[in-house]
Amino acid sequence: MDVGFIIDIMPEILEGFSTTVRLFLWSMLFSTPLGLALALMRLSPLGPFRWVAGFYGWLVRGIPLILIMFYVFFALPEFGEAFLLSPFWSAVAALSVWTASYQAEAIRSGVLAVDQGQFEAAEALGMTKLHYMRRIVLPQSVRIIVPPFTGNAINTLKQTSLATVITVPEMSLLTTRIISREFNALEPLLALAIIYLALTTVLVFAQQGLERAFRLKA
Amino acid sequence: MSDFDFDIIWTTWPILRDATWISIKLFVLSLILATAIGLAVALMRMSKITPLRWFAAIYVWIFRGLPALVILFFAFFWLGNNLGLTPFQSAILGLGVSSGAYKAEIIRAGLLAVDRGQYEASEALGFTKVHYMRRIIIPQGIRVMVPNYVSNSTLLFKSTSLATVIGLNELTGRARQLANSTFQPIEILAAAGVIYLVFTSLMTLSQGFIERRFALKT
Repeated sequence: MDVGFIIDIMPEILEGFSTTVRLFLWSMLFSTPLGLALALMRLSPLGPFRWVAGFYGWLVRGIPLILIMFYVFFALPEFGEAFLLSPFWSAVAALSVWTASYQAEAIRSGVLAVDQGQFEAAEALGMTKLHYMRRIVLPQSVRIIVPPFTGNAINTLKQTSLATVITVPEMSLLTTRIISREFNALEPLLALAIIYLALTTVLVFAQQGLERAFRLKA
Repeated sequence: MSDFDFDIIWTTWPILRDATWISIKLFVLSLILATAIGLAVALMRMSKITPLRWFAAIYVWIFRGLPALVILFFAFFWLGNNLGLTPFQSAILGLGVSSGAYKAEIIRAGLLAVDRGQYEASEALGFTKVHYMRRIIIPQGIRVMVPNYVSNSTLLFKSTSLATVIGLNELTGRARQLANSTFQPIEILAAAGVIYLVFTSLMTLSQGFIERRFALKT
């Protein structure tokens, strides 16, 4: 193993760093409201809402993410020009759809963990459902939602590597290009692994910080 | 979608079926490897010997912190090349090592959930550690592990699709090839999705059955 080579190769892999981070941030931006909407639909008293959200979760969590990426990239354009997305936005779409299904579960179980009496008291006080969900239930459930929510986010960061299958030039794809050019796998892969491990470790610390910030102050 | 072409699915069915077999074999073999690694790492993390605890903690930190894809790259481009492994063997190794880190955490949580008094009573009765772990603690811990173990295994089944990146023609990779060669990605990729859904749904359904199998008989 040649440590010098690891250091030399790192800037070239880091050219994909911003693509990896942008994939992650856009996916979080889209998947969070979608996950919240799906969670509220699953909790709705209206049957059709619950069925649609339940079906969505079953479908998306039953299929590999790579297959979802292939579907967005290869199959969707067949339905019309409007669905023809670049590799980058196809990956963002697939990652968002996929992440939202897990965030919906995280949010739903957080809402369900809020004491039933809080719902009843809010209704007894004459609050509308929209009002008490927004002002009473969701703020209390955030505390319970934070750990699984951030855990899912860390997963999404790792899964951005799968965008390599639809030729998005993120860090993993750049690394495979280096491997085939240099006929040498160990050093480029170690460089890639160090970057990912640093990213996920920072996110784990951020997760612990968030958990502390949302802890009940006694 | 009045023009959804079912004929193409029947025509390509034998190819999809063979590819499904590869996915299943990949899943079963990597699950066995992951479970063995997970059990070993979980026991090491609970060991009295400090270096073993460190080794186990570092294993979990590294392999949960890296995308499974990167681990697969190591197994294929580096180990596979040096040891002369086939893509299939590399995929088993990569998936097993990656999933093993998650299994270790699940198994450890299950073992820690066993009442402290069970450990103390076994020691008081003069059992050796190997003996009481095997006969007293692990059988009780399994009950706690089952739900997480099964849902994590469903994830592993979906992750077998990653092997497509190292050129293995399992279900996802083969479906992508067929989608390209038939120019009918909508139908072919949907068929692959349905196959995955059947297996993941069966696994989710079997979870309740396995939980009952391991439940306390009163």
